[in-house]
Amino acid sequence: MVRYVARKAIGWLAMIIVATNATFFLASWFLDPRSNYRELRPVRTEDQIAHALAPYGLSPRWSVVHRWWYWLSGVVLHFDWGHSPTGVPVNSEIPRRALVSGQLILLGVVASVVIGVALGVYTASRQYSLADRATQTLSVVLFNVPTVVSALGLVLAAVWLNQRVGTTVLHVAGANTAGVDGTWATILDRANHLILPTVNLTLLGYVGWHLTQRSLLLDALGADFVRTARATGLTRTQAIRRHALRASLIPTATSVAFTIPAVFTGAIITETVFGWEGMGRYFTETIAKNDVDGVVAVAAFGAVATAVGAILSDVATVVLDPRVRVS
Amino acid sequence: MTATLPTGSLDGPLDAPPGARVDVPPPLRLGRLRLYARRFARNRSAVVGVIIFVLLVAYSVLGGLFTPWDWSRQDFLALTQPPSGSHWFGTNQGGNDIYAQSVHGLQRSLVIALSVSVLTIVIAAVVGAGAAYLGGRVERWALALIHFLLVVPSFLILALVSNRVSGDWRVLIPLLTVFGWMFTARVIWSVSTSLRERDYVLLAEFMGVSRWRIVLRHIIPHLGALLIVNFTLGIVSTVLAETSLSFLGFGVKTPDVSLGSLLADGSGTITSAPWLFAFPAGLLVLLTVSVTLIGDGLRDALDPTSMVGGRA
Repeated sequence: MVRYVARKAIGWLAMIIVATNATFFLASWFLDPRSNYRELRPVRTEDQIAHALAPYGLSPRWSVVHRWWYWLSGVVLHFDWGHSPTGVPVNSEIPRRALVSGQLILLGVVASVVIGVALGVYTASRQYSLADRATQTLSVVLFNVPTVVSALGLVLAAVWLNQRVGTTVLHVAGANTAGVDGTWATILDRANHLILPTVNLTLLGYVGWHLTQRSLLLDALGADFVRTARATGLTRTQAIRRHALRASLIPTATSVAFTIPAVFTGAIITETVFGWEGMGRYFTETIAKNDVDGVVAVAAFGAVATAVGAILSDVATVVLDPRVRVS
Repeated sequence: MTATLPTGSLDGPLDAPPGARVDVPPPLRLGRLRLYARRFARNRSAVVGVIIFVLLVAYSVLGGLFTPWDWSRQDFLALTQPPSGSHWFGTNQGGNDIYAQSVHGLQRSLVIALSVSVLTIVIAAVVGAGAAYLGGRVERWALALIHFLLVVPSFLILALVSNRVSGDWRVLIPLLTVFGWMFTARVIWSVSTSLRERDYVLLAEFMGVSRWRIVLRHIIPHLGALLIVNFTLGIVSTVLAETSLSFLGFGVKTPDVSLGSLLADGSGTITSAPWLFAFPAGLLVLLTVSVTLIGDGLRDALDPTSMVGGRA
């Protein structure tokens, strides 16, 4: 098992390295760090701009390969991810932001999968009941609500609630309130700020799991091996839990990895709407500010998140599927 | 749901004595399209979807005729006004009429979504079915390309490129196409692999039909239902992608407007001027929900094993 995971991890590491370096060239091609200095007054000459960018390895006088080599040696030798065109080190931004986005994405994915799969299992074993039809309709509608609309709708609802109650029940902006002291107060405050963004990611994420898990379990319920299990004397619930459910979870587990990029995209919009200073906000800011090194760091973060999800889903597949042997 | 079609055997009762005259109801024959239309029309939510979609298209094409305001014209006497008689959907901070802007934005979003979906479904069908039938090296390379495109940070590349071209909506069409066809292609590939060994394909092979002709004339038509359903799904996902990009400020940019950029305008003043957000958001949700309902209806109408569409 350890060897299997290690082999998968090495494959994904190679993928991360390729993706990150490719993003560096793409970003260098499409972003122009000089534009940050062109709008300044008094007007800078091209020489002055090149001179200002040189200490950060972004000098337009260097060839792309030269700049790439400077960036790569910084990352490999000192784990230094470079600077923004105005000289802010990327390393000073990433840890805090990665933590913020990481908890958002992790909570969003876990809550989506748990709620979606549970709903799918519940409704599949009660096909065409009222609960099944109602949740199905709700899910189809939610599936079509864009992240932007749902996030802003949540903000409206929370603001309305706060006004009705008269105090701030739910925070709609930021990851924490300034000036909150004490361990418990801080934890509670942060948890409160987490509620709405997580609800938003979950609302949009759970639907896919609900609908696919429902149809997968329905397929499994009609399979011969479930009838055999019933014939050996198991009750319907036991047959579902021990045989049908386990078989139908396998495709679900394998597809977790492929949803991480979508969750990250959702997180970009969620962070923008709720004013979180995470990787998603960093993504939009760095592109708007022509920050090559920052964009590359965001791409690396996205690739790492995908790889972690992929490895976890591989492990889940091995645990669930007796046909997959790793040793 | 009442099915009025006679479903008895078309040859008349077999146990009738030879020579006896039996009144056999004339077999009801429907053309394929008529049959699909009947099955589709039985699905009430799908019909509602079609009605909403047609109304939205009509609104985007003709809606501008009913208002004196142009989407780009500014009314400096009415800044941030709620919906009223002269500005039906209200105005924004710059005095733009939200009704006229919604018409224009919906048009943009629809044109982008429809053209991207057509392009992606064509590419996905040719690559997916071609890879499955031709096999060997073609298949390996096609699958490698699909998997590579599935894991590259496509949203980031979309944002980078569309930011650079500074908001020209026409550039979004090829961009969204390049990063939109892989998933459908993979689904089509996995379905087509089972068609490779079908008798009718083998027969065509023995008759000396060329390989690409088999892909185009024998395998892809067999996937018709799958393609149509994926086409509608493609519309929804393109609308969502375009909206997200424009909302973040990368896709369609001012002075041009799309539903996404209208939402971005409205998001800052959501509590003080909720109409800026509500109308574009409502149109957007109506658009995606109606297309999904149509897609579901088509799936049931085109799938011969589905019982949702009633009998026949």
